Amino acid sequence: MNNLLQAEIFKLRHNKSFWLILIVSLGLSSLMHYLVITGWWMLTNTPFETMGIPEMNALSMFILPLFFNLMTGTLAAFYISTEFDSSGVIKNQIISGKNRSLIYLAKYLVFTAAATVITVIIPVGTGLILNLLMNAGIFDGNSMMYLLKAFGLFTLQLAGYTAIVTLIAILTGDSGRTIIFTIVFTLIMFVIEKMPMSDIITAIYDYSVFRQFSIVMNPEMTSGDIIAAVVIGVISTAVMLVIGMYIFNKKEIK
Amino acid sequence: MNEYILRTEEITKTYKNYAAVNKVNLTVKKGDIYGFIGQNGAGKSTMLRLVTGLGFPDSGTLEIFGENADKGLNAAQKRIGAIIENPALFLNMTAEQNLEVHRLQKGIPGKQCIADTLKLVELENTGNKKVKNFSLGMKQRLGLATALLGDPEFLILDEPTNGLDPIGIVELRGLIQKLNREKGLTVLISSHILSELYQLATTYGIIHEGRLIEELTLRELDNKCRQHLKIKVNDTEKGVTILEEQLNTTDFEVSPDGSISLYNHLNEVRKVSSALTSGGLIIEHLSQNGDSLESYFSKLVGGDSHE
Repeated sequence: MNNLLQAEIFKLRHNKSFWLILIVSLGLSSLMHYLVITGWWMLTNTPFETMGIPEMNALSMFILPLFFNLMTGTLAAFYISTEFDSSGVIKNQIISGKNRSLIYLAKYLVFTAAATVITVIIPVGTGLILNLLMNAGIFDGNSMMYLLKAFGLFTLQLAGYTAIVTLIAILTGDSGRTIIFTIVFTLIMFVIEKMPMSDIITAIYDYSVFRQFSIVMNPEMTSGDIIAAVVIGVISTAVMLVIGMYIFNKKEIK
Repeated sequence: MNEYILRTEEITKTYKNYAAVNKVNLTVKKGDIYGFIGQNGAGKSTMLRLVTGLGFPDSGTLEIFGENADKGLNAAQKRIGAIIENPALFLNMTAEQNLEVHRLQKGIPGKQCIADTLKLVELENTGNKKVKNFSLGMKQRLGLATALLGDPEFLILDEPTNGLDPIGIVELRGLIQKLNREKGLTVLISSHILSELYQLATTYGIIHEGRLIEELTLRELDNKCRQHLKIKVNDTEKGVTILEEQLNTTDFEVSPDGSISLYNHLNEVRKVSSALTSGGLIIEHLSQNGDSLESYFSKLVGGDSHE
């Protein structure tokens, strides 16, 4: 497993798309935080405002599924799916005789780590650094605890989401289709959230990572909410990983 | 030690209603260079994909290095190096970086093997040049390098001469023969270029429409393709005696149907026939036979060969 992780990290480090998305994330978050801190961009009714840290309001953009999906979906397309297309480099991994489940797990872990850096660490990190550099506000312990809890739980939900995206990337085996399918999938979740649906669909959605993405940002989460978020995040990740490994084990490599 | 590196029994792979590989029994012995011959679409690549674990057979058993259970096959596949269809390479990486990915994946200790393998395929001076800027031949050689990294015991090459110029083909052939001779590497190489395989392989498997229609050694193939006089007389035993005593030759073979294949006196048909008739034999058939590899292959598959 260690060998596979090292190989995946090496591939990620040499993946141009990863660096491009990382730079875009860095540029966008720096710009957004700057505009919010300097008052050029006013956002209201955000959980960060409720917590008394309106200087971090720019993060509201980064927690929108449609927004972070573009980054994770694109990364999955050019990091995972591309190995199945014309270059066919996935063949080398399979031929090496490594267990397919471990190959899948290594890809998932490195992809999730990269997605976390791009969609969580960079937006939060640049926000904190810019606030410090511009003396915009000194965060107290409560605010820091809130950010830690909210984005810790958010990352857990993200792990479930990246498990779904990894599965889509493996199933399609094509960069373009991966981007399209992840966008369509996120749009469907968006529609389910906004439109009246049958009780069953609503119930499934309420216990999905998509619903949790907004719940975990609530400053007034109860202990029960936190436990539910942890359980949903962990179970979603585990279930999607097991399904993904099963499918990858049965997949014919072209 | 198991004499067979690879053995398949009744391996079948079906796509919808089409059997791409149909009950194939294939055996590759240790130290062989096994030439897997077939027309395009005959089932060569499908078969090699099953052997390397890229696909799964619908039925039949697969045994590599004596292992046939899933876990054992995974371990056995670690002793294989392979190129299936096209060399699988990261186009935005250099040759060295491509091999580094492969080295990490396989868990091969030390980086010296990368330099050694690049030298072996004569790509040691490509420096920072990205693979996307390589010629087809260079890509093919780099693909071979990824297959050779870590000193595999069994090398599987699917149409490895695609894209190589004549000099590249000669060099590849020399390299495979060298590895086979010096390191005892067993090679399974597929091609539709018969003349290419003829200069390399020690054993042949001929596949047609998913079925392995013949498996034979180089010697057997040579004998089948060798020019000879095919003789059928009313008394085979007496005919053999006449050939030995009057024509002073033992360079012939007797087939189960009683026909004699005489490999010399090819330009002395009259002398042969007169010796047989003067011995009181009736000649039922006398003709000059012998195939080129291509025509032999054509006869087997019942059509024009592709080379």
